[in-house]
Amino acid sequence: MAIEISFGQYLPLNSPIHRLDPRIKLIAIFISIIFIFIVKNFYGYALLACFLLGLVILSKVPPLYIFRGLKPLIFFILLTFALHLFTTQGTVIFQFWVLKGTIEGLRNGLLMVARFMLLISFSTLLTLTCSPLELTDALESLLSPLKRIGFPSHEIAMMMSIALRFIPVLVEETNRIIKAQVARGADIESGGILNRAKNLIPILVPLFINTFKRADDLALAMEVRCYRGGEGRTRMKEYTLSQSDFLFLFTSIIVGIVSVLI
Amino acid sequence: MSRLNAKLIAEIGLTLALGIVLHMIPIYQLPQGGRITPGSLVPLFVISLRRGYKVGLITGAVFGILVYLIEPFFVHPIQFILDYPLAFSLLGLSGFVSNIPIVGVLLGAFGRLLSHIISGVVYFSSYAPQGMNPWIYSITYNASVILPDAFLALIITIVILPRLPNR
Repeated sequence: MAIEISFGQYLPLNSPIHRLDPRIKLIAIFISIIFIFIVKNFYGYALLACFLLGLVILSKVPPLYIFRGLKPLIFFILLTFALHLFTTQGTVIFQFWVLKGTIEGLRNGLLMVARFMLLISFSTLLTLTCSPLELTDALESLLSPLKRIGFPSHEIAMMMSIALRFIPVLVEETNRIIKAQVARGADIESGGILNRAKNLIPILVPLFINTFKRADDLALAMEVRCYRGGEGRTRMKEYTLSQSDFLFLFTSIIVGIVSVLI
Repeated sequence: MSRLNAKLIAEIGLTLALGIVLHMIPIYQLPQGGRITPGSLVPLFVISLRRGYKVGLITGAVFGILVYLIEPFFVHPIQFILDYPLAFSLLGLSGFVSNIPIVGVLLGAFGRLLSHIISGVVYFSSYAPQGMNPWIYSITYNASVILPDAFLALIITIVILPRLPNR
């Protein structure tokens, strides 16, 4: 039972979308999401879908990856569609047992499905073109105004970076402990849920102890390098806004406004 | 809150990493995204019980965002906040009663359940037609995922807690 590392969905490609400033991407996606909720007709959604398609082509991400993001939600999408189709009052177009499908229901259902798919696709595109570390940096930068009211934005970003950095390390460690315990005769793959949980304890106890030891070592390493929070800390790679960032942000806002108006 | 020093930041960071690693080993996965994991919540409970509820609340919120990065499920901005940062943050409530771990863990799990239930209702009220009762579906579905998960986490936390080194 080895754990595979598949963290997030990030697809490291070299495209204009990948090169955009992660802060701008985050803001633009957020704006698009707000507009998706305001849009009330198919024309608006069609325009947003074209915008999304354009971004996907620019980002060089195979469209299959976007569909993969939709896969876990198929159940929800179908449920929502069926609920609207059969419970909206109006002109009946077909009848199936006690369920009456109405034309208004069909329209509402399709609108909801469009809204759903656009929302998910936009957020999937963000995680496909922005690495978790870039998103962490963007979050730190965007939340930094909250520092004034005592919000620890730097510290939170630091915790996230540490977590992201140490996930592969701990995966390796977990696999090593699993092998060591299996070699001693531990059985971790059979039995019901309760039994499996019980069998995990010989793995979890050394894992926890080692993790806390690692945290102590890391804290010591940070302290000897004079780490004292975000104040005056510099970065190896600074993000600077370029023309294409502003162009992208501007285009998203225009597309959003037009899609609401048409 | 008290200053987050390097030691606390390192400890929270590694706790988050451990939680994510345990989250990657599913025992059982439900079609709509819920999963029963072998105690991915245990690190969150452990840090809340050892370091107090404030640390627990922050750790949980960040954990929620990391979980979102692994398996994004986004249908509504309020749903996102309720399902990710807030739900996991409320697990930190267990730090309120750190002297009785059983009560603490149950309190944290209840907080999370409540947040997911409200999020389910938000989903229904924005996507489902009028006239449905969203509470029943939301409570049944969420309880069926979260209660077994919380139960496993409770057992594991209580077994592990006394075996960890003191500080």
